[in-house]
Amino acid sequence: MHPTRRTVHTFFAVTALAATLLGASLAHADQLDDIKKKGTLVVGVLGTDEPNSFIDPKTREIIGYEVDLARSIATKLGVKLEIKQLAVAARIPELQQGHVDLLAASLTHNKEREAVIDFSLTTFVTGQKVLVRSDSGIQDLKALSGKKVITIKGGTQEPNIRKAVPNVDVVTFDTGPQAFQALQQGKGVAFVNDEVSLIDQYAKLGGAQSQYKILAQNISIEPLALGIKKGEPQFKAQVDEVLRGLEKSGDADKLFLKWYGPATPLKFPSRSFKIDSDKVES
Amino acid sequence: MPILDFSALLHGQFRDWLVSGFLFSLQLTGLTLVLALPLATLVALLRMAPSRPARALGFLYVEGVRSVPLIVHMLFWYFGAPELLPDRTRQWLYSGNVEAIAAVVALTLYSAAYMAEDIRSGLRAVPRTQFEAARALGFSFLGSMRRVILPQALRITVPPLISQTLNLWKDTSIATVIGVAELMYQAQRVETASFRGFDTFALVTAAYLSVSVLITALSVGFQHFFPARAAS
Repeated sequence: MHPTRRTVHTFFAVTALAATLLGASLAHADQLDDIKKKGTLVVGVLGTDEPNSFIDPKTREIIGYEVDLARSIATKLGVKLEIKQLAVAARIPELQQGHVDLLAASLTHNKEREAVIDFSLTTFVTGQKVLVRSDSGIQDLKALSGKKVITIKGGTQEPNIRKAVPNVDVVTFDTGPQAFQALQQGKGVAFVNDEVSLIDQYAKLGGAQSQYKILAQNISIEPLALGIKKGEPQFKAQVDEVLRGLEKSGDADKLFLKWYGPATPLKFPSRSFKIDSDKVES
Repeated sequence: MPILDFSALLHGQFRDWLVSGFLFSLQLTGLTLVLALPLATLVALLRMAPSRPARALGFLYVEGVRSVPLIVHMLFWYFGAPELLPDRTRQWLYSGNVEAIAAVVALTLYSAAYMAEDIRSGLRAVPRTQFEAARALGFSFLGSMRRVILPQALRITVPPLISQTLNLWKDTSIATVIGVAELMYQAQRVETASFRGFDTFALVTAAYLSVSVLITALSVGFQHFFPARAAS
């Protein structure tokens, strides 16, 4: 019997649906395979956090400690490295939506974030400290109560300082350099950021260094790691394997000294951590 | 399809942040409106004044402000302009809420430029014969404006002004780039802390929409009850 128009339409609808579902299940192939097929590894970086990732004034390219780590991973995977600059607040959403494959963006590994993304082995350990204006007379964290503190939107800085100083007044800006400029203009008495970023900015102050000082107290310990989308065990295993390889061959230590060592403005004499674990305390 | 779960956002800390941001946005809008309307009227009158330098001043203000994006105005009044003040004034300013002050200044100057053009259109819609008759009766320029033209122009001017108010309400979201704790700023804080981007921004959309709908309803109501009519 000749099929009616309705039968034909139903047949096509079901076929289309089946094809979509089949396609969808096939499309959720491994991210590692996707990257190798694409031929590029898209890595999200900040580009404004020296020396983790920043713009080289001479070549206008983004370089840094984390950029070098990302490059090693891309090389080991046999693909090209593509760098995408992200704002601090946009890091995790961009990774979750698949706009970047990996985050090398001064990303703190903490238990709260473990619920939404995965982390590689910890690549750097730093604390968060507070930089104050010397003329404010502030000697310790308690004195910040009721005062105006400046920091960056969307990171761990704001929650940490609020936990350390309950009555603090926090104003946040989109990028580190912008927030620091607000501090320099006197719009706040203190600036909160990762210790290494603070040391770097302090070193850049040159003559104005006497007007500022970094308070000795840590408001938190920040283990930094590379960010990986949740549910990609093979990709994470590959990334961790590359990092372990760098640690064993001594390249990881060389990378640290290249960007943080005695020859740099930060002048760290040596590394106080190893790249060997992805477990964190909190 | 993301699972919508507003319960986390509608209680406790997150709700407090969002509500305080919403109220602050409303305050910014209200304050700017109060300051911008008189300024806009002044600029509109300047542009229609008999004296050439006055007209030039009005023209330069409107064109200069309208040619620059609002975000640039905000950054200028926050990072740029205060640095030009003398030391003591600057320090007094910085000890207060300089973020909000800069935002109100930027928003006022920006909105006033657009509102001035709307007011000027309204004034020009009143037939010139009205103005000539007023002058013939002995009123000065300002007197004729105040007693004859402006009252008639009001009905024509109000709908575009309400439309500018709608723009102003949405423009308050730009203040987030200079650290003003209005709705968008608080929304980003909630999103970072809760990892619930979709829910947060859905709520924020609803918040902006609710006030926008009220403003639009006001405009429709006004045009219904006070329709513009020709001079009789």
